[in-house]
Amino acid sequence: MNQPPETTARLDRLRGRAMPVNHNARTISALAANPGCPRRALLDAAGVNKQRIAAHIGYPAPFGQSRFAITRGNAFEARLTDNGAAELLTLLRDILELDMTEVGYTDFHAVAGNTSRELRHAATRNALTGQDYGPRTLFDHPMLRLRVGGRHAYLEPDLIALRLDGSFHVIEIKSFPVIDGQADPAKVAAAAIQSAVYVHALRDLIAEAGGDPSQVSHETILIAPKDFASHPVAASLDVRKQLGVLNRQLTRMTRIDDLLAQYPESLTFDLDPDADGTPRRDPGDLAQAIALVTANYSPECLATCELCFACRDEAHGSTGALGKSVREDLGGIEYTAQALSLARGQLPPADRAEIAVQLLRAAQIREQLLGEVS
Amino acid sequence: MAQTIEALERRIDELRVAVREAVLPGDKALASARRAELKRAEQAWEDALAATAPRQVLAQQAQGSLLPLREQVYEALSLLQVPAAPKLIATVHEAFFGSTFPTTRVTSLKRDEERSFRSAPFARPYYICAALSADYLSPSRGLLAVSTWPMEKRVIGSLSPRVDFLTAAIRVADAIERIPTPPATARQLLQRFAGNIPGAAPVPGMLASAGPDQVRPDVVRQAAQAELAVHSDADTRLRKEAAARARKQLGDAEQFFGAKDGFQPVKYDETGSAAS
Repeated sequence: MNQPPETTARLDRLRGRAMPVNHNARTISALAANPGCPRRALLDAAGVNKQRIAAHIGYPAPFGQSRFAITRGNAFEARLTDNGAAELLTLLRDILELDMTEVGYTDFHAVAGNTSRELRHAATRNALTGQDYGPRTLFDHPMLRLRVGGRHAYLEPDLIALRLDGSFHVIEIKSFPVIDGQADPAKVAAAAIQSAVYVHALRDLIAEAGGDPSQVSHETILIAPKDFASHPVAASLDVRKQLGVLNRQLTRMTRIDDLLAQYPESLTFDLDPDADGTPRRDPGDLAQAIALVTANYSPECLATCELCFACRDEAHGSTGALGKSVREDLGGIEYTAQALSLARGQLPPADRAEIAVQLLRAAQIREQLLGEVS
Repeated sequence: MAQTIEALERRIDELRVAVREAVLPGDKALASARRAELKRAEQAWEDALAATAPRQVLAQQAQGSLLPLREQVYEALSLLQVPAAPKLIATVHEAFFGSTFPTTRVTSLKRDEERSFRSAPFARPYYICAALSADYLSPSRGLLAVSTWPMEKRVIGSLSPRVDFLTAAIRVADAIERIPTPPATARQLLQRFAGNIPGAAPVPGMLASAGPDQVRPDVVRQAAQAELAVHSDADTRLRKEAAARARKQLGDAEQFFGAKDGFQPVKYDETGSAAS
């Protein structure tokens, strides 16, 4: 999995003088969310701080969780794990028929008062691979590790891994509500891919220690508050599909050479910071460097990628910017302007005759209902 | 408060035996150390006894307590008899002693206690101290204990959080039975315990609709004892082993506030694996 030194050197040059940004479960799951985007693949492989770059070229990222949401999330999690995880145990006993004897609880927030990620990872590994004593069932905030683009990313699951009938289940605690048995599908999808990242990392850990990775179940457990109260409910999530996407994406990142070969050696996203870290690079110049690398913008990027506003602006007028379903419906037509002129009756080239007929028909229906197509 | 006094009496008895065992073979240093410990336990017993009467009055007060924070924490921990997190300590104090306190203040309390102990060891009859994690003997995150408790009670193995939760439920049930008209907050506390112990609800599966008045202390105690029987042996074994290690490896202050610098960080080789 190690990269050749020349690849590492090129990635370092792309990043410039900035420190590499560490991946976390969110960024890794974002990778899998838009696997076809070379811009994202390249920037992430190089560990570029996309947030700072986006801000410098005038498109600051729209992210950040509100303080209230974070407090609410923490309170919900604490409620489940307080007092020897009493509430979580009750839930697991009810739903998964967890055996009465399985109550071991270990906290990995710190090892001997030390919160270093390496130490916490070592302690997690010892506990999970059985080089450690004590009956353990629940692992609170273990520290996992995943190799992404040649570097280790430490993953602190916002969750607990549980040993049930000898297999490990990843548990993800989320604070979005499940109302009348239904949760926001986008949020569940995000939780599923995040869980898949943990399953992947956990399997790596078990395999590295010489164990059987299939001990880690692809069935993960999602716990969220029910309705508008803070009473928890649990559901099982099958993350096999997400694991597949993730595997492909991670393999792709190790084959970053093919991608690098398409761009000039001199390409860099360095911000040219002064002594105080204030960027000195001309924003226009940086924007040009970014524009060299193709992006594959889709509306889903708005939820996951820091560069989304820049890419959206760039993709303005293209059918892809309206989402996958629009792009598929308008197969072969790249720009909305082309689609509109076909709808207005412009004579199509032979290869677009079929779609042109559909567009004309659609325009007629729209006209009948609403008036002329603008 | 009867629990504390009883616990102290047991401790005093144990210490008397320990003193005798040290005196007979002529081990003077050990004997004098144990005598000092016995003296402290006796002093704690006197203090606890003297404090019983005024506390009865305080229990009736609906307003904030006039006692210093450390004594309020001590009262609640003495009722529970197990290491507990500040949130539970505050809830127990509110339920049984009629006043609560912001849990944020408890963090500085532990620091003050440690400073006080280090500047004048054993000057106070008791200290609010840390519970120790069994594996590294470091302070267990967020848990508080009382320094006069035996080490076995203050170390936390992997089963201990559950065992302590069940023990706390039993103590709360006992305490409620001792009060002729338990306050609503105490019953609510018991209800919350009951909700997470199998068989503790008045009607199985009906806990959500049952009011706090329907939760019976004797049923909760019985259910908690039943589950406790499952974990108790393994937990005791782990805790005894860890306590022996703590007494052997740690100095006085570390025994109360946890090992901090004795831990060697794991070293890594080039592949990122921990070197053994």
